[in-house]
This record gives sequence, C-alpha cells and structure tokens, in this order.
Amino acid sequence: MSDTLTIEEQSLRQRVETNPTPAMLWFVGVLILTLLEFGALLQVLVQLLNIVVTALQLHFAAGGLTAAGKMAADVPTFLSRKVISNQGYQPGGTGPWTGTFMGIEPKWAWFLRVVLIYGYAFAWLGWVWYGYLTFRRHYRYADWTPRDDVVDRLRHHRWGMFGFVVVFMFVVMAVFAPALGTATLDQNILHPYDYNVHYWDASTGQVASVPVGIANIKSKSQGAGGNNVGLWSYDDFGRFHPFGTLVSGKDLFTFIAHGARISLLIGVTSMGLAAFLAITMATLTAYYKGLVDLFIVVTSDSVQALPLIMILILMVVIFSNTWIADVYNGALLLIIIFTIIYWPYLWRAVRGPALQISEEEWIDAAKSFGQRPRAIMRKHMSPYIIGYMLVYASLSLGGVIIATAGLTFLGLGINPPTPEWGRAINAGQPYVATASWHISLIPGLLITLVVTAFNALGDGIRDAVDPQSETGEAEATAATAGGGGA
Amino acid sequence: MSVEAAVDDGNGQRPAGRPILEVENLRTTFYTRRETVRAVDGVSFDVYPGETVGLVGESGAGKSVTARSLMGLVDAPGRIEAGSSIRFNGRELTNLTEQAWRQVRGGAIAMVFQDPLSSLNPVYTIGNQIREALRLHQGLEGSAAREEAISLLEAVGIPDASRRIREYPHQFSGGMRQRAVIAMALACDPEVLIADEPTTALDVTIQAQILDLLQEIQADRDLAIIFITHDMGVIAEICDRVHVMYAGEIVETAQVEAMFDDPKHPYTQGLLESIPGRHPDADRLLTIEGEVPTPTEAPTYCRFAPRCSKAFEACDTVHPVLVPVTDDATDHEAACLLYPEDDIREDAIDRHRRAAAASEDTDE
Repeated sequence: MSDTLTIEEQSLRQRVETNPTPAMLWFVGVLILTLLEFGALLQVLVQLLNIVVTALQLHFAAGGLTAAGKMAADVPTFLSRKVISNQGYQPGGTGPWTGTFMGIEPKWAWFLRVVLIYGYAFAWLGWVWYGYLTFRRHYRYADWTPRDDVVDRLRHHRWGMFGFVVVFMFVVMAVFAPALGTATLDQNILHPYDYNVHYWDASTGQVASVPVGIANIKSKSQGAGGNNVGLWSYDDFGRFHPFGTLVSGKDLFTFIAHGARISLLIGVTSMGLAAFLAITMATLTAYYKGLVDLFIVVTSDSVQALPLIMILILMVVIFSNTWIADVYNGALLLIIIFTIIYWPYLWRAVRGPALQISEEEWIDAAKSFGQRPRAIMRKHMSPYIIGYMLVYASLSLGGVIIATAGLTFLGLGINPPTPEWGRAINAGQPYVATASWHISLIPGLLITLVVTAFNALGDGIRDAVDPQSETGEAEATAATAGGGGA
Repeated sequence: MSVEAAVDDGNGQRPAGRPILEVENLRTTFYTRRETVRAVDGVSFDVYPGETVGLVGESGAGKSVTARSLMGLVDAPGRIEAGSSIRFNGRELTNLTEQAWRQVRGGAIAMVFQDPLSSLNPVYTIGNQIREALRLHQGLEGSAAREEAISLLEAVGIPDASRRIREYPHQFSGGMRQRAVIAMALACDPEVLIADEPTTALDVTIQAQILDLLQEIQADRDLAIIFITHDMGVIAEICDRVHVMYAGEIVETAQVEAMFDDPKHPYTQGLLESIPGRHPDADRLLTIEGEVPTPTEAPTYCRFAPRCSKAFEACDTVHPVLVPVTDDATDHEAACLLYPEDDIREDAIDRHRRAAAASEDTDE
C-alpha cells in the first residue's frame, strides 16, 4: 500500500484529489443511478416540504410548493407507472393492448416494472458496497480496522444474509410502494370513485369507462359461492391482480406494498426511539451507577410489570379520540406506545454490557485527563453498546411488526383506509377455507417471513459483532426463530 | 541519573521552593454494607517540582487509592473524609465541584495507568486519543492537533510517529503502548504526573527504557512525578524520595539513599530483605510472613505488629505515628514504637501515645 507510506496525514478530500479515478468512477455510477429516479426523488422532497409547510402553516410558501410539485411531476422518472404502464384494454379481446407498455399484457408490464425496480434497488446496494470497497482499497489509511472483521463475518453468515436479503426486499417494497403497486393507492384504495378505468366491453364491442369504485365492487373476492379474483389473474375490467383482490375488491398487492410502508415506519421509528432511549439510559446508569441506576431500574421494572397486550389495548382505546390517534391513521400513537413499552427491554439487554464497559480502564483514563462525562458516554461507552443494540433492536422489530398487525387485526391499531397487513388477515378470516384463501394467507405468510428475516438479521449481526456468541448456525436459528413476538 | 543530581545533591536535601502538591492527613474510606474500609488512613506528604516521589508497598497498602484520591476519582461507595487536605499550588482540591475537578485532572495532575493496553480504547487510533486530550487541555484542533500529537509521540521516543499516529493500540507493542499512554498524559501538559505501576505489565528491558523516558521527560518539563510501585528496584532507579505504605498508612519516609542504606521500620527492612539477589548466598528468598490486613477501624495498635519480628507488648496497644528516627534526623521518619532511636523505650512509646491521641482529637 503506497498511500500508507506517505508521511503527512491528509484529509479524505486531499486523498481523493491525489487519486481521483476510482472515486470519480464511483460518483458517476451514483449520478446515473440517481438520474434514473430523479423525478421521484424531487416529488418526495416536495412532499416532505409540503408536510413541513402544512404543519407550520406557512401559507405564503404553499403556492410555490404546488408549482414545484407540478414541475417535479413532469421530470421524467424511469421506473414509474407512467413509463411502464400496466393499465389498458385489449380492443377486440385479442392482439396488442392499448395503453400498456409497448402493448404487452398488463401482467407482464407489471412484472417487468417489479423486476426493474428490484434490479435497480440491488444495483444501488451493489454500488454502495463497491463504494465501500473502493474506499477501503484506495483511500483508507489503515489496512484493517476492527469493523472490517464485523462486516466480513456478517457477509459469510448465511442465515444472517438470508435475513438481510429479505429485509432489504421488504424495505424496497415499502420505499417503492407507489411504483410497485398495480394501481396507485389513491386510485385503487383511498378514492376509487374519483377515477375511471377504461376497459373493453365484449358485449357491446367497444371501449367502456367505469369508476374504479364500481369496478372494485364487481371484482370482490368472497369465496366459492360469490365472486373470486384469485392469484395471478385478471378481473373483468382488464386489471391484473398478482395477489388477487380483497373482500372489497381492492387490489391485494397494492394493499400489501403500502402496508409494508406503515409496518416499516412504525417498526423502525419506534425501535429507533426506544434504542436511543435505552442507550442513553444504559450509559447514564453505567456511568453514574447508584441512585440514577436504582431510579431507572424501578421505572423499567414498573413498565415491564405491566401486562403487554392489555396495556397496548388500553392505551390505544384511551387515546383513540385524541388528535394523536389521527396522525397517519394511528401510526404516531402506535410509535409512541411501542417506544414506551419496548425501551425497558432494550435497556435491560444492554445494561450488562454497559456496566462492563464502564469498568474498563480507558474510561478511567479518559476521566483522568478531564474528559466530560457526556463525551465519555458518547465516545468511549456507546460504541460498545451499539452493536448489541442493533441485535436486540432488530430482534424486537419483528415483534413490533407482529404487534402492529395484531392490534390492527383486532381493529385497534391502524385505522382504515391506511393499509395494514393485519386488517387484510382479519378481512380474509371468514374465507380461509374457500377459494378466497389468499386474502389471509398471503399477508400472514409475509409477516412470518419478514419477522423471521429480522430475527435472522439480528442473529447475523450478533455473531458478527460478538463472534464468541456463535454457537453454530443451526442452533441459533432454532433458538430465535420463534422469539420476538409481542 | 543526571536528573536526580539536578534535583538533589545526594545529601538528602529536598529541592528549594514551595511544594507543588501538599497532601495532609488524607483519609479515604469505603463504606460498604458489611464494613467500612479505611483504604487510606491519614497520609501526608509533599511533592516538589521536578521531584520524583515513590509510594511503595504491597498490594492492598492503599497506594492506588491514594493516587485516585489525588485525581478526585474515588468512586462510590468510597469518599475522601472531612479533614483531609490536598493542595495543588496552594489551592485546596478536596472541596472542588466535579466540574472544577475536570480542569485539575490532566491539566494539573495527569495519570499513567498500569496496563497500557487496557487504558487505551481499542476502537480509536492512537492519534485520535491523543488529540482528544489535546483538544480538552490545549484547545488544539485539526492539523495543529495532529502536528502536536506527532511531536508528542516523537518526544516519547516512538519512531515513525507520523505513520504510527494512525495505528490502533493493538498494532503497538507493550512498551510502545506505554509510551503512547505517557504521550497522552503529556498532551494535557500536567505539572504532576502520577505513574501507577507504569512498568509492572512490561518486561524488564522495556521497564528500563520507560524509566529512562520518564526521567528525560521530567528533566525537559520540570515535571513532578509520583511513582507508585511495589518494586523496590524500580524505586531505587527513579525516585528521589520514598514513602513506604502499609495498610493505608505511611510507615516510613526518607530520601531514597537513606532508605536503602539504612531502613528503619521493620517493614521496610523486610521489604528490602525480600528483594531477590540481595542475599546471593541464601538458599531461599526471605519473605514477610502473612498478608496486609484490611484496615476497618481506627487504629489503636500497630497494624504491622502481627507480622513484625520485633514486636513487643506495647505494639498491641499504642498506635505509632511518624517520628524522626533519631532526634537530630530531619528528613527520615518512621512510624514505629522503636523510634526515635535515641529516646528511652518508655519515653518513645509515650510520645507515640500522646501524638496518636492528639490526632484522634483533631479527627473527631
């Protein structure tokens, strides 16, 4: 490594300037990948700004934003339903379709879009990994750091990588939900009577138009006796339903894709907040010990002593008529509740490691040269806990997803019309033994898969962070696959 | 030994001027549910600029707790008792707030720990950790901090410092690590350096190098060093003045030559006897039987008496205090009923009894 022999230490920027080729190559790749989805990126930005403007009631900015939103909508986005459309009709019942991408069948148009989106996401993943390798090879001084081993162990942990891939696909589903669905959320689920769908009416032999709401009613999945639009099939209006339709006739795949969004939002936000609380508390209690420790032990014991399900239900009911419950159809309320309920578990899990770290001599050394307590906690203690926290948070995240689905199943969690997997399971319950079995089964299987994947990822991270804990992959699998539920 | 010569002329003279650190009647007690442990029980000593003061004793003698007390780092359930006094440059430290202590730590008094590997955080580079201290105490950031860190590493004799500053603690050998830890302490620009067994974890050749390094640094910066060890050999090598600790108390104090030439306290004599190689003809090493007791109550007797070959009846009833070993000795004191040597035994015992009673009164 020639660059480790240079005498003067340079900033990363200087290092890139001395040897710009690999970095430039990487940035060109990033640029291309970004440009492909630039329109979507702009729209997301405008939407986020819009939320801020609405929240702060900045009326003067609203007009400008609306204009910006229109402009953003015109910026081309490669992987959008506009470019690869799956909605159209087939004049005469045979031959090429009108309105779909290159006239191909809607199912193949939709399938192509899904494949391209996942390809795009995996290209990003690969490119980020390539960027990390480039940094390691060309710009980092150290040949090796302790983190390299963690990353390598995780890469070769097959069960962990299974979890990682499934979690990644779940995240992609949530992020790209608007483009993945066979129809938009607004058109198919939220406001079906505001949109029309054009279809080929075979009886009259011409193209007819009907509100989406009416089309939905005629596409219901209600078991053997009634209507059923099952897996991988079209309804009477030329609309393709990869997972079939719901009892209400809405598209199950669109429902699930958007449901992934809210599950992920609730899971990640509440676990992020709980993990932050837990790390703060753990470093505080480990550093100061004594009364602070006792106080937090008592607090967390009190929280843990409460029966979980009962508290969940009680709190949802108590807050059901307040403004908190209205934000994002109850998601904010669930986030708050899960944060409050889960931090003691996470804190308990890292309290031991934190206490252990607090006895290390480098903590003493840092104190002995007058480092501030907060800096000691942040710099010298928390890096050792964050690894554990990743493990426990990803293991608990599965539990949060199950709990959210469970509450919604009972009609308590996320209120309609926002899609949530639990509601689909509940709706499909009467039809489990009929032709419409897909309504319950598919979301149920997906929840199981996602939660298992989060557990697997947690196992992988644990074995990567702390190789001594590795007791053989098979054993670890058996031990944790069942856990994590609320 | 040029440094020592500069500090004292070999006649047992203390350097002139004010002491930079004055410790008076330091008592640090740990209150546990079962017992109270008087880990440090009435220790007094001074440290002058440019001087190396040794604290020597067996494990459990209270050396490290003394060091931690000087840094204000006594953790609960321990605390420094009222009546103790630690003055740095005339400023009382025992009543400082935690915030004021942080200024003292590092900036005034810095510490080098026993195990250089565990006192460095393994996830940060050496440079990162030295820069942390530089930012806190000298306000240096960015490239200025880096330059200073490199020059500090060079000052402690680490070759190729500009490269090694980017390496992690595990990439350093034991001796290099201890040098890096010393550089970290120096980054705070302290006036007193407490070295808590800095050579114990190192092998002998490296020990000598580190001792030489400490002496060089001391000469360069006029640093006062408090050197804590159980190794009498190291004491002889580096110290100007020695305090022998036993069960939380100082039992003998003298300039280093006097201590080695003519140890007075039976415990010091025992310690010196038990240095390997001092009696080449002996079949086996001489030892002091027994262990250091845990001091749990105010002493009414000599804590060394149970292990002392010279103990007599009064040792069980009178607590000895530090007295000059002879009536005209100014700089050699021992806490033993045998001294002052010139006095008649009964007078000496009486003197100890009265002094102990007097200090008891002031304590209460």
